[in-house]
Amino acid sequence: METRHENASRDAAREPGGLSVQVRDLTWRPFGRSRPVLDGLDLTVEPGERVLLAGPSGSGKSTLLRAVAGLLLTADAGDLSGTVTVGGLGPQDVPGSVGLVLQDPGAGVVASSIGRDVAFGLENVSLPPGEMPSRVEAALREVGLTMSPDSSPATLSGGESQRLALAGALVMEPSVLLLDEPTAMLDAATAGDVRAVVADVVERRGLTLVVVEHRLDGWLDLVDRLVVIDDSGSVVADGEPRQVLREHGDSLAAQGIWVPGMPDPVPLTLDLEPARGAAAGRVPPGRVVAAASDVRVEHRSRRLGERSRTTLAVDSADLEARAGRSVALVGPSGAGKSSLMSALGGLAEPARGTVDVALPLTPAETGRRAVARDRLAPPHEWSSPDLARVVAWVPQRAATSLVGRTVRDDVLTTPLALGHDPDVAGRRADALLGALGLAHLADADPRQLSGGEQRRLAMAAAVAHGPALVLADEPTVGQDRLTWAAVSGVLAAARDEGAAVVVTTHDPGVVGHADRVVRLEAPTPPLAAREPERHPLLARVGPLALLVAALCVLPLPALLDTWRQGLAVLAVEVVLGLVGLLAPGRGRAPEGRLRGVLARLAPAALAVVGVAWSAWLLGGRDLEVASGAALRVLCLLVPSAFVVGFLDPEGLGDHLAQRVRLPARPVVAATASLQRLQSFDTLWRELMTTRRVRGIRADRGPLARAREAVVVTGGLLIGALGQASTLALAMDARGFAEARRRSWAGPAPWRLPDTLAVGAGLLVVAAAVAARLLLP
Amino acid sequence: MSKTITASGPLTRWRTIDLLTCAFLGVAFGVAYWAWGLVYSVPSEAVSAPFPPLGALFNWPWLVAGIVGMLIIRRPGAAVFTELLAAIVSALIGTQWGLTTLVSGLVQGLGVELGFAVFGYAVYSWGPLLLGGFLAGAFEAVYEWYSYWTDWAWDYKVAYLFLLGGSVAVFGSLLAVALTRVLAAAGALNPFPPGQELREQRAV
Repeated sequence: METRHENASRDAAREPGGLSVQVRDLTWRPFGRSRPVLDGLDLTVEPGERVLLAGPSGSGKSTLLRAVAGLLLTADAGDLSGTVTVGGLGPQDVPGSVGLVLQDPGAGVVASSIGRDVAFGLENVSLPPGEMPSRVEAALREVGLTMSPDSSPATLSGGESQRLALAGALVMEPSVLLLDEPTAMLDAATAGDVRAVVADVVERRGLTLVVVEHRLDGWLDLVDRLVVIDDSGSVVADGEPRQVLREHGDSLAAQGIWVPGMPDPVPLTLDLEPARGAAAGRVPPGRVVAAASDVRVEHRSRRLGERSRTTLAVDSADLEARAGRSVALVGPSGAGKSSLMSALGGLAEPARGTVDVALPLTPAETGRRAVARDRLAPPHEWSSPDLARVVAWVPQRAATSLVGRTVRDDVLTTPLALGHDPDVAGRRADALLGALGLAHLADADPRQLSGGEQRRLAMAAAVAHGPALVLADEPTVGQDRLTWAAVSGVLAAARDEGAAVVVTTHDPGVVGHADRVVRLEAPTPPLAAREPERHPLLARVGPLALLVAALCVLPLPALLDTWRQGLAVLAVEVVLGLVGLLAPGRGRAPEGRLRGVLARLAPAALAVVGVAWSAWLLGGRDLEVASGAALRVLCLLVPSAFVVGFLDPEGLGDHLAQRVRLPARPVVAATASLQRLQSFDTLWRELMTTRRVRGIRADRGPLARAREAVVVTGGLLIGALGQASTLALAMDARGFAEARRRSWAGPAPWRLPDTLAVGAGLLVVAAAVAARLLLP
Repeated sequence: MSKTITASGPLTRWRTIDLLTCAFLGVAFGVAYWAWGLVYSVPSEAVSAPFPPLGALFNWPWLVAGIVGMLIIRRPGAAVFTELLAAIVSALIGTQWGLTTLVSGLVQGLGVELGFAVFGYAVYSWGPLLLGGFLAGAFEAVYEWYSYWTDWAWDYKVAYLFLLGGSVAVFGSLLAVALTRVLAAAGALNPFPPGQELREQRAV
């Protein structure tokens, strides 16, 4: 009841429903481009009007949406002229009045729980925390997310993530809703669900809606106007959707847009010279190239402030890939399609079950190891070149699979790493690039290409050396008709050369071209323990108190002189730490408490030895001096080893901003980026896997490994900065740009355990003072 | 680096993307720092066994984050923010030095800041890089004198300070400049001054 009343009073202050959008003579040229992306564009959208914006890839549709949201300069720099107004004001004058949902599910997530994530915009407009829960719950209900607001965004599916993003925009009561290819990454059924939610919300609130999408079906019934932009960034058609399609449908389809009613594009025909030394074709057509049987794949993941968790990706699954045949691996998201495919190709080690590759393809193995085996070496044990010769893999994010300095280099990487004849390989590479429409980009930096071009390049690079097993993870998702035809053409060409092709997909068109379809269902996770774990005492302490307690050790080096003093203080620390690990109460005993502490201390042992050694060397080779130095360092390090596992970064951010009064915006930026730590781990592994399967992984030699570490770190940083710029956009769309003063949805309480923890820290200092005074 | 483009807008007014870029760099470097902590000790112990201050030659990588942050964002505070966050992240993942890395991160970041502050945050070439790198290494060395190398004589302490300061100034700056160039070439720095410089060069 309270919610409704509040909404009513806010709505009375503002115009009810949607506002008009006016774009006048908008021109935008990013620095470094000779041609503007948008050129003198004019567009008026009436209040409550629903517009679908279409155009070929690179025509500036997304750019226009960002301009309407007033966020063009958030993540790019360039020349901007013209005006954009929403209801007569600048789009960012009223924070949250223009809601923006981006293409990549989860790209705009800022918090560790969905409730906190939705509240982000409310925090930015300094809404009192007491008013937040009811509005957050209302927004979650409106988009049909019925799970607890405490759920982690990481547990959401793609469609649920998009609805979460929508809730984050809706909670700010926007007048205009902008959707940037919101369903491009989703399968057809999930996309339908998201569209239904959008239709419902827009109808009920009377919002002005602008959608960018290159798959038009599904949206046409929902909009009352279709606007088409061309390559040069100007409006070429505008009107009633069916009318516009009747007049421009053919030209739109020719430009790559998925126009409803048009037949699927025909896969491109590729005429390739066979690669010399290719693995494809060594196994006769129809015979098994690789077979996985009864395979289980597990993923280990760890979030900060939590123990590592093992999740079951695939269990008891079988998959066979046959030469000259293609398999489409289908099933709901989370069914483990990618994991099974990775296991088949030797990219992941199965926790159980076997993977066998045909004898003519398995590298010869000699020595004791081969004798000890009762079967051929499984592919996950092969060296990088051995694996590359046989297996090709295109990950879902094509950008991570690019390793060359130029487009042509990238295609030639694996053939040259395998020692193929450069002339033959070069001719094949050029033929591939030509067929895929990339010939004019041969000397360009692959990282500067568009998404669709990168996808085509990744396909070309995967098959350049004629591998016998081609694995492609969702190769057509989010692609326009032109890239779709190119991707299917490359897969068909590989199959015709005698390769076994495995594709994970939701795309009916891809399934239709496959020789065989294998359906996976999500594995049933093992039953969770019925009894909840007890919490150790340290888990009941707030993050700020833990930090302060651990930093109480800083005066110790000045206080501790001899090994006796060091030993006494260390004993006090260990006793206090062990008390902190106690978990009184009812429930299951928590596991791995001491193991975690020891694991953190193990690498410290080397540091301690180093200090002791240098002290021994200098201190007249006196054992007492050396042990005194070693104990002093241990006293510095031991408290952290107990405490660190219990520090929750988001809670620490809340405490630092509210109790210590650190500036709000940097604290929020830091905690938001800490939520992505897990994705860095994933990205790192993906970059390394790419290098392995492309035949350039440094298998031995410290120098080669160091070089590789630098290259992959560069890749990691590029990925990190890409995430940062998308997140900046998502956060500014929710009013973060001006949130110098904001409220906080999460409390930062100071309770008895916090005081006790700080007391324990001070006790260590007191013990050190006492030891210095009392002990020799 | 003949011409230097400074950050657009007032230096104290950080855009969201400035903050997030520093933060993401900090997290990524934090992971790298943690990984370096796992592998560095063997070569470091080997080299420093005969002459302990030589360990400095393996400690400079931990000071790169702040320099990279400053080279990209070009605003006061960028080095402290990036380096401090990298230190926190490596501690949260579980580095052997625990939460005391916070102090290291803070003093290292301050050293870099000071180097660039001397030039009024208007120059981003070798002058402030060498000065800031040296100061960062020197500050860290002084903190380590206090916390780890209490028993060393002054000759060792001074040798360690100059070795660490020197290697950060040279190797650390070289690595930071190289990484910044790689990122700019990849188009990842388009909204920032280094990316803008690169695009201006190409535009000619």
